[in-house]
Amino acid sequence: MSRIKSNLPRVLGTVAAVTLSAMVGGQAWAQEIAIGAVVPSSGPFAEWGRSNTVTLKMLEQQTNDAGGINGAKLKITILDDAAKPAQAASSLRKLAGDEKVLAVAGPLTSSAAEVTFPVANEMKVVSTSQASSKPGVAKLNRPWAFRNTIDEGVLAKTTVPFYKKAFNIKTVAVIFDAKDATASTVGKAIMPAVLKANDITVANENDLLSFNTGDLDVSAQVTKLKALNPDGVVVSADYSQAITVLREMKRQGLIKPVVGATQLISSAILKAAPEIPVIAPATFYATMTGPAPEKFTATLTPLLRKESGLPKDIEPSMYDANIYEIVSMYIDAIKKAGVTGKPADLEADRTKIRDHLAKLEGFPGLGGPIGFNDDGDAIKAFYVLQGQNGAWDTKVKGCSSAPNHPAC
Amino acid sequence: MSTYYASLLAESGILLLGALSVYIILATGQLSLGNGAFMGIGAYLSSYLTVALNVPLTLALVIAAIAAGIIGAIVAFPALRLKGIYLAMATVGFGEMVRSFFLNFDAMGGSGGYRGMQHISVGYVWLWAGGILIAVMLLERSRVWLEMQAVHDDETAAGLIGLNTTVTKIGAFGAGAAVAAISGGLFAHHNVYIEPANFGFDRSIEFVLAVILGGSTVGPGSLVGSLLLVFLPEFLRPIADWRLAAFGTLLILVLLVRRQGILDRSLIRTLTFRRAAA
Amino acid sequence: MLIQQLVNGLTLGAVYTLLALSFSLVMGILGILNLAIAELFMIGGYLGFTLITAGFPLPVAVLGGMLGAAAIAIAIEKIGYQPLRDAPLVTPMLSTLGFSIILQNVATNIWGSDPAQLPDEYFGKQYALGPINIGEMQLIVLVATVVLVAVVAYIVQKTPMGRALRAVAENREVARILGVSADRLTMLAFILSGSLAGVAGVLIALHYGTITPYLGVEIGLKAIAVMVIGGTRQIWGALVAGPLIGIAEVLTVAYGGSQVRDFVVYGFMILILLLRPQGLLGGARSDQGQRV
Repeated sequence: MSRIKSNLPRVLGTVAAVTLSAMVGGQAWAQEIAIGAVVPSSGPFAEWGRSNTVTLKMLEQQTNDAGGINGAKLKITILDDAAKPAQAASSLRKLAGDEKVLAVAGPLTSSAAEVTFPVANEMKVVSTSQASSKPGVAKLNRPWAFRNTIDEGVLAKTTVPFYKKAFNIKTVAVIFDAKDATASTVGKAIMPAVLKANDITVANENDLLSFNTGDLDVSAQVTKLKALNPDGVVVSADYSQAITVLREMKRQGLIKPVVGATQLISSAILKAAPEIPVIAPATFYATMTGPAPEKFTATLTPLLRKESGLPKDIEPSMYDANIYEIVSMYIDAIKKAGVTGKPADLEADRTKIRDHLAKLEGFPGLGGPIGFNDDGDAIKAFYVLQGQNGAWDTKVKGCSSAPNHPAC
Repeated sequence: MSTYYASLLAESGILLLGALSVYIILATGQLSLGNGAFMGIGAYLSSYLTVALNVPLTLALVIAAIAAGIIGAIVAFPALRLKGIYLAMATVGFGEMVRSFFLNFDAMGGSGGYRGMQHISVGYVWLWAGGILIAVMLLERSRVWLEMQAVHDDETAAGLIGLNTTVTKIGAFGAGAAVAAISGGLFAHHNVYIEPANFGFDRSIEFVLAVILGGSTVGPGSLVGSLLLVFLPEFLRPIADWRLAAFGTLLILVLLVRRQGILDRSLIRTLTFRRAAA
Repeated sequence: MLIQQLVNGLTLGAVYTLLALSFSLVMGILGILNLAIAELFMIGGYLGFTLITAGFPLPVAVLGGMLGAAAIAIAIEKIGYQPLRDAPLVTPMLSTLGFSIILQNVATNIWGSDPAQLPDEYFGKQYALGPINIGEMQLIVLVATVVLVAVVAYIVQKTPMGRALRAVAENREVARILGVSADRLTMLAFILSGSLAGVAGVLIALHYGTITPYLGVEIGLKAIAVMVIGGTRQIWGALVAGPLIGIAEVLTVAYGGSQVRDFVVYGFMILILLLRPQGLLGGARSDQGQRV
């Protein structure tokens, strides 16, 4: 019906392009390489989605200025899912089915990934999340689902020993966001197990404290944490929720070192209670040193700050780095795996990208080499950071695989 | 049809059932702001049946609908003392309690969600959605509907002329809950993943919105409202950062221009008359 | 610890009281649920934040939040309520929902979706009274709540304007026949309710020191429960029900039930609705509510 009408120009365009390339004499490459992205540019994670958008536009520009991909122009189609799972899934359908993209970056949240990854398998197109770290989400949706993140269970095994040694921790108390799937898995299952393995007592083992996303007041929970008098506190929550906990800890004078998952990493959390040390793992942070991350941050920061709808003091986040790496890996795959980008080869091209990613090793990411394990999660270097007095500081370098792996 | 539009149509069908669940209850003059909870019950129960017990989906949906209908009737019984907006607020409370229950229901994943369902086609969704819409439209021509309207217009008078208003109201609540549960079951098997946050206050209010925008005096109004709520945000994509604000503005505009909803009897008459004349 | 928890509960209760009162000013008088109140609260908070960080003193910030929220409340009344006042109750409720969606989007575009935080120095002093710890801002919130409830109660119960408001609440038709301009009073109810939400937003955002565009969502729903428990037409009801729910929540957490907290609160609301439909302090009976 109306869809046919709206598709007509594109269909004609494709026909023209095909005819043109046939006339030029069976050119091996398409004129345009289409990649898709699903980011939450409206709703509660709008800031992440919008900064992801700026990052991708920067990458598109950089790639095309450098001559494109095998001579073809890169076109990244970015769709907003408003952090709603259903919209993320239909966005992927639109990108893969209507826009005929070769691969999709995103979606961001684990909830969206849970619904979108099965669709990626149905449509046979690669979908790589830039932020989902809820354990096992990609693993359940092989072979087309990937995540450029490390499973929180792996990270905690390096984070906790450092935390224990640095602050001489013998007992901790746990508080987590019960409404957030990642946070509650980390708070209820992963952290208690890793703490136990490191001989750290969980003071409230049988009464883990929780709150809900969006809670304004966590004073009762913090008073209880304080009464347990632990050496440290496990805060398993997304950083915007963790800020509420940290400020309440500070207000009640509970100045104890905090440990958590990657969800804590952000510039904003550093302002919450500068005197409370926060320990968390990250694969990238804005003040990271080294040629690649420094160049990335220096180029991206002014672009982010210029964008309306984003705060004036914003810095690139770990998720900006992750999505930048994801699309860079797609470009790498297209160049190296013999992807043509021609409409007729779409299915074969998508499979080539998938296979390239699956056996990728040592791709130069911003924080070091990247590859993927059999679960579809990233094998990459990570850093245990300590945030205090307004800055993140690298304490330990770790790797999500065996030490002799090329990515480590 | 591209899979993208097919998926949007499936979502509209699921929302249509949610909207009809509110419409049936609203026909007796009661507003439920907690039908997201019945949807959740249907989603979780039918998923458990198909995933853990290998029950065929259609049977699972029927069982879920009956179970939710019974729960709806039980909930309705004490709640019937409440009128108008107070009943609506009690249903908000019920909805939040059910959501909170699933959040702590670790046997089915708690906040981690539940998965393993088989994906269903848009055709199957619309078999249910269309079938129930037709059933509701047939109901609208029946004596039962007249009784429901009587309770809606003046409950005391309806009672005086010998109608059993309690049975009518509880029946409407139970039927609404059953339809919401089917919506939930289809939702679960369309998305193949569910979590408690899917069935909160947002969802309940979305159902009401679809009914009121589309037209709360005729069954097909819910159809118009559901299609609008699913497709409008997609068409607003070019506005990017202001997409939700534009949606809110259009919502207010529609209410101002057509407070009875987009579709009503006179519009249906006009449309059908023109078609007949042409 | 128990005493400290009671202080926590009272503070949370004060938050609920102020918001519940904002809801009930519109609900009690017009019988409609203004869902945008939660967002007026949020906007008030952001305005307060902006003024405080720009170096203005607290009273200016409070006034700014109040005026800003009141101005938006006027717009909501003019555009979203007035033209729909004869429609079924659910219609204006949904138009206020439209406003709440717009306000969240606007706030996201202006202030970002990440939490805005108050710099450290605005935290205010902490006082230690034996085992309990209470902050300067916390005291201000508690005192301000009592004062604001008293002011609203005075306006509604003692002034001619307030009497007219109650007359409209009792019976709109009769009030009209008696020459009370319902339209002007409706506007008044929206302004009062909006101002209160704005002030509450400033005080509470300053107390917790952090704010997001979605601040009002969860707390708004709870405030509706508190309003119901206190009785929708009783000004003082909110002052009792707020702390009651605040303390109930805090004690649920304190005694090992942090995961069932919301279940307890909403369950309590339903019990009150069923057992004492007129709310704790009486007033309108919920088994005689207006038709939807």
